[in-house]
Amino acid sequence: MGDKPIWEQIGSSFVQHYYQLFDTDRTQLGSIYIDASCLTWEGQQFQGKAAIVEKLSSLPFTKIAHSITAQDHQPTPDSCILSMVVGQLKADDDQVLGFHQTFLLKSINTAWVCTNEVFRLALHNL
Amino acid sequence: MAEKPMWEQIGSGFVQHYYQQFDTDRVKLSELYTDASCLTWEGEGFQGKSAIMTKLSSLPFQTIQHIITAQDHHPTPDSCVMSMVMGQLKADQDQVMGFQQVFLLKNVDNKWVCTNDMFRLALHNFGA
Repeated sequence: MGDKPIWEQIGSSFVQHYYQLFDTDRTQLGSIYIDASCLTWEGQQFQGKAAIVEKLSSLPFTKIAHSITAQDHQPTPDSCILSMVVGQLKADDDQVLGFHQTFLLKSINTAWVCTNEVFRLALHNL
Repeated sequence: MAEKPMWEQIGSGFVQHYYQQFDTDRVKLSELYTDASCLTWEGEGFQGKSAIMTKLSSLPFQTIQHIITAQDHHPTPDSCVMSMVMGQLKADQDQVMGFQQVFLLKNVDNKWVCTNDMFRLALHNFGA
C-alpha cells in the first residue's frame, strides 16, 4: 500500500480533527485559527480567530453531526494545503442537508493553522 | 455603490470567464493554467497545463451548461485569491446536478492564473 502524499495526510487529519471538534465542542475550534484567518459562512465574512470562534459558537443548534462524502487535498505553490470537503450534515432534528466547505492551511511555527475557510449549505434556488 | 474588494473583482472575473469558456469552447481554458497547476477532477489528480487540458477536453459530453448558485472569494496570506463556487450543471440531456469547485489564483507575470483547481459533483450515497 503506497504512502499518501504529505499534503493528503495533513489535509485529511485536519479535516477529521475539525469535524470531530465541531460536532462535539465547537468552542474548542479556536486553536486552529489565527488573527489573520478569514471565514465566510453562508456569504457572511468574519475576520480573525475571535470573530470566527464567536460565530461558530453562536450557531443556533444544540446538536450537529457532519458526514463527509468526499475530500480532496492539494499542495499550493506557496507551500500551503488547499482542502475541499463535500458532505452532509444534520442539525438537531432538522432534515439532512448537503454542504460544501473549503480550507486553506498554512504551517506557522510548525503548527498547521487554517488561514481561510468558506462554508455553504448546498441549497439552490430552482 | 461601494466598490467590491480587489480579490472579489479578480475572483468573480475569473469565475465568470472560466464557466463561459467551459460552456462554449473548453479547449480555450488552457491559458488559465501553467505547468505548475494541479487539477483534481472527481478525485483524480492531473498535474500541469497539458494533462489538465487533455482531461477537460476529453470529458464525455457535447453540450454543458453551468449555473452558479453562489461564489465566495478570499485573499490568502500569500497574496493569492481563493474562490469557492457552488452551482448546478447540465451535460447533454442528463439530469441537472449540483457541483462544487474551488480555484486558487496567483498573479504570475502580471496575469492571474489558476494554480489549483478541484471539482466534485455533489453526489452523496444516501444511507438506508
